[in-house]
Amino acid sequence: MNTDTKKEKSRLKKMVESFGLPRLLITLFLILLLILAPIVGADLPTQITNIIARFSWNGILVLAMVPMVHSGCGLNFGLPLGIISGLLGATLSIEFGFTGAFSFIMAILIATPFALVLGTIYGWLLNKIKGGEMMIATYVGFSSVSLMCMMWLVLPYKSPNMVWGMAGKGLRTTISLEGYYINVLADILHIKIGNLEIPTGTILFFALLAFLIWAFLHTKTGTAMTAVGSNPTFAKAAGINVNKIRLLSVVMSTWLAAIGILVYEQGFGFIQLYMAPFYMALPAVSAILIGGASVNKASITNVIIGTILFQGIVTMTPTVMNNMVHMDMSEVIRIIASQGMILYALTRKTEGSK
Amino acid sequence: MKTNANKKGSFGSFLRRSSVPLMFILICAVCIPLSGLSPSYLVNEIVTRMGRNAFLILALLIPIMAGMGLNFGMTLGAMAGQIGLILASDWQIVGIPGMVLAMILSVPISILLGLFCGKILNMAKGREMITSYIMSFFINGVYQLVVLYLMGSVIPIKHSSIKLPRGYGIRNTVSLLSMRQKLDNLIPLTIKGVKIPVATFIVIAVLCVFIVWFRRTKLGQDMRAVGQDMEVARDAGIHVERTRIIAIVLSTVLAGIGMIIYLQNMGNIATYSSHSQIGMFCIAALLVGGASVDKASIGNVFLGVILFHLMFIVAPRAGAAITGDSMIGEYFRVFVSYAVITVALIMYETAKRSEKKQGGEQLRQAQLEEERK
Amino acid sequence: MKSKSRLLIRLIAVAVVIAVAAAMMVIGRGHTIYFDNKTLEANGQTYTAPYQIQVFVNDQSVGKLKEGDRGMVDTMGQDFKMVLHITPEKDAKKTGSAVTLKLPYNMDGIIINLPALLGGAPEEVYQSEFIPAEVEEDVEDVDVSSDEFEMPMGDE
Repeated sequence: MNTDTKKEKSRLKKMVESFGLPRLLITLFLILLLILAPIVGADLPTQITNIIARFSWNGILVLAMVPMVHSGCGLNFGLPLGIISGLLGATLSIEFGFTGAFSFIMAILIATPFALVLGTIYGWLLNKIKGGEMMIATYVGFSSVSLMCMMWLVLPYKSPNMVWGMAGKGLRTTISLEGYYINVLADILHIKIGNLEIPTGTILFFALLAFLIWAFLHTKTGTAMTAVGSNPTFAKAAGINVNKIRLLSVVMSTWLAAIGILVYEQGFGFIQLYMAPFYMALPAVSAILIGGASVNKASITNVIIGTILFQGIVTMTPTVMNNMVHMDMSEVIRIIASQGMILYALTRKTEGSK
Repeated sequence: MKTNANKKGSFGSFLRRSSVPLMFILICAVCIPLSGLSPSYLVNEIVTRMGRNAFLILALLIPIMAGMGLNFGMTLGAMAGQIGLILASDWQIVGIPGMVLAMILSVPISILLGLFCGKILNMAKGREMITSYIMSFFINGVYQLVVLYLMGSVIPIKHSSIKLPRGYGIRNTVSLLSMRQKLDNLIPLTIKGVKIPVATFIVIAVLCVFIVWFRRTKLGQDMRAVGQDMEVARDAGIHVERTRIIAIVLSTVLAGIGMIIYLQNMGNIATYSSHSQIGMFCIAALLVGGASVDKASIGNVFLGVILFHLMFIVAPRAGAAITGDSMIGEYFRVFVSYAVITVALIMYETAKRSEKKQGGEQLRQAQLEEERK
Repeated sequence: MKSKSRLLIRLIAVAVVIAVAAAMMVIGRGHTIYFDNKTLEANGQTYTAPYQIQVFVNDQSVGKLKEGDRGMVDTMGQDFKMVLHITPEKDAKKTGSAVTLKLPYNMDGIIINLPALLGGAPEEVYQSEFIPAEVEEDVEDVDVSSDEFEMPMGDE
């Protein structure tokens, strides 16, 4: 009996350890928020609708972290590069005059070659600088976003729905997707019970991609990718072409980011250009880390749990805080929690990679 | 160490090392005539910006010496400096005494933040830069907590010109009119229409002397040893962790003081954004001056300020002249700042890898020879 | 032994820094001084304002105050010196007088009634605190710069 409780205790301790203290705190915080929400007078179904909606928008962007983490390239701080491919796809699709659901499919089709080319260059670069991926990824993202800032102004876009009305050239900072692919996925099998809404289509699309990634990681190439990430020397000895696998993972991440931003836009309703993609990597990075991933380990479960937790906190804190103390500290809490999570992950010792 | 230095002295590597400054000289040479700005205006601007930024950039040198790369965490010091200035201006301490007081107030905050940052960086060896970069975001959250919620509610703030109307939190901009350019104009000197902030330059010169002196001290030597090779330094009996923490603390404290000098020139604090970009601009300027992630000198600082800020001033005008849209130039200079840092990081990492490879190669050769015997 | 003397040196250094900070707080305290050239009645006495007073601080004129005017200057520290050139009537001869004042530390803005000061009135008569009018303003929405969607430019 006594030994049993002891065992229980040590088991609990181990669980906490494997779960990680910050993650535990964040989970408890979200649970607290969910309990508080009805008490302070926020409508719980609306809140849950918000969380589910935001999960469906962001899921794929977080999923885009997985391949690169698996191949040992670290967290993909270069996510903006993929986002830019997606933005190119979106704007070109509208420019070519596609509308409705078809514009979404075309956006994906047009974004894909950009993502493949940019991803290949990016992957080639990351192979040259093994060990310093994360910092350089960050700055590759920044440079590409600021380069595209110039391009959005200069490129000869003509569609009156996208360019500045006065000048007749240069893309606007936000472009409405009304009439294009707003909610194309969310409206498929859309469920509405009272105040609770579920964008089934978007979630199914995420599930499809997540399943594909999961299945891929179980193919021969996929296991090779995991091997490269966990022990590159061993992988090399086993005859795996490390550089090729890493390149593949980077291309996959970049492509997923491109699709991810398109899905985000269809839910959000707008295309955001210029500096908008600048810091988009950070929420995705912290989300997957909150979900239990580390710098060199990540699973689909991490993505799902992390996105729900992260988006839950982002949507819940402002409402609960405002209703409770009339003081909106959510922004500060969000920054401290998400950046703290990244810091925590960076300070963990990683096996294999070094 | 000697042979290493000799090897790097060849003409080719000199060219590679100075490729960034050369590129910038080229950009400036093209942009200056296009911008149509007069030389006297440019000289004036450069001198002002030199006084404004040099101290901050010099704060980056010490962590580079200790092998910790570019200290993106200098933002921490900048935040400490801003807190010092907010308090000093609320207490209505004006002019030079106000600046000195703000500096003194910033130092303990900087030391605390520096200790924390140093501790964390010791836990993330080999990824110092990305960690210090995320650290700046993290502490920014804490800073906002303090400035937006605690100031006025917990920390007393008296003046409604600083405080938000809701009763707590600091306004978006805090005017530093009472300290504005007090240091710059302490010793007034104008040569041919160029206003020279003599006192500021004296402070900068003192810091330069300090850095030169510091390099020769025992601690400075230790730092360089740690920067060269942590394991070797540890075997030689150097407290590696402690030395690294000291490097970061020093850098943070200097950044705090530098931020105060920077802001007295600007004349107001943008409470929630002044600090956020300062790290990026300082690092970009240092790299433009020909520094690399593992090697930077005082000369790089000054060359960097001149070239980077020259580009910064002329790019929007030149961009407008070429394309008819001033935003292009704005974006261009932002792009160049980021691109410079990216290129420098890539060059550093590739060099590190090829060095490693060479080292491995030599080891293998030695082993082979051993075996032959 | 060495560590003890080191500790001592450190303590002294900290003490010196604190002393400097304290000194700065004293000598660096800024005040805004408002000069009133207005007729003042207090304690049954009337201090009539002259035609014009010109105020010099640090050898620089900070204002020519006609009767009923108010001038201002920013100063640092609690010792305040000024030179007043007084013209009692129009076209009359100027008389000069140098004045040294001790300023109260905890007042930001200080109003000095010059006629009362020149008439030899006690401190609480010629000196009063300037309280800025509360400006009604809309509750400003703070734009917290987050780590998202921010224009990285600055430095201007």
